[in-house]
Amino acid sequence: MAQPDDLIHQPLRLKIMAALYAERQGEPLEFSRLKTITEATDGNLGSHLTALEKAGYVEILKDHVGKRPRTRVKLTQTGSKAFRGHVAYLRELVEGVQD
Amino acid sequence: MVLTKDEAAAALAEIDTTTRRSGMLKGYRIGGPILMLWSVIWALGYLNMGLLPSAFWSWTWFGLDAIGAIGSVLLAQRLKGQAGVAGKGGRADVTSLRMLGGMGVVMLFVLAVFSVLRPTDPAGYLAFPGLLVGTIYAAVGVFLARRYLLIGAVMFALTLIGFYAFKEYLAFWMASASAALFVSGVWLARA
Repeated sequence: MAQPDDLIHQPLRLKIMAALYAERQGEPLEFSRLKTITEATDGNLGSHLTALEKAGYVEILKDHVGKRPRTRVKLTQTGSKAFRGHVAYLRELVEGVQD
Repeated sequence: MVLTKDEAAAALAEIDTTTRRSGMLKGYRIGGPILMLWSVIWALGYLNMGLLPSAFWSWTWFGLDAIGAIGSVLLAQRLKGQAGVAGKGGRADVTSLRMLGGMGVVMLFVLAVFSVLRPTDPAGYLAFPGLLVGTIYAAVGVFLARRYLLIGAVMFALTLIGFYAFKEYLAFWMASASAALFVSGVWLARA
């Protein structure tokens, strides 16, 4: 049976991971777009991203477009695997799958 | 961590909602530039109707529509590639074919309506595509992505205002109304 991931299960972190997982094939997601998708505040999103980055689940990329600073976020392979595992756990729980 | 079945179901529902929101915003980002392209096509087409005799109208629209259709497919493919939704195993080609097919159906519908109803008032030829496009966008907005509802309503309203208030200059009014389409495209692209 799949195992739950305590770090991912927090509501906002779950949204962040879901949004990044949906965008995993594309370019890294801009902070502002991630904020729109997750409906989070700047500070809240930033602190949860830091927690996910420390766990190696996301990569935060900072650069400049012209003079404007840009922050983008991308799911790592570790993060992708962890998210899939957590979703598998949730599905098994809902469907009543036992060991 | 121990979760109940209900908590797990709620978490899955939240993931689903987030994924759908992400997909909708991605759709807006792809649709925005395409709408901007069609605003230019629209402006050129209606300027042509305002400046040239009616004998030139259909051929110019045919050429512009072809440019718009090909441009839309190319733009969609490029933007989908950037957004990471480029098809696997030829799926992008299927989407492009569907897009071209949809545009073809709309053009055929417009031609068929004109052929059957034969409007005696030239303003009818000018207003009908605007009303149809407004309706299509509004329908997309009702069923799929809400922003298109507002865009459709604006196009529908602008067409009606032009038809009833500025009939003599309707072609130029409709060409000007393309600015609203362009702004709508920018609005979508920035979603």
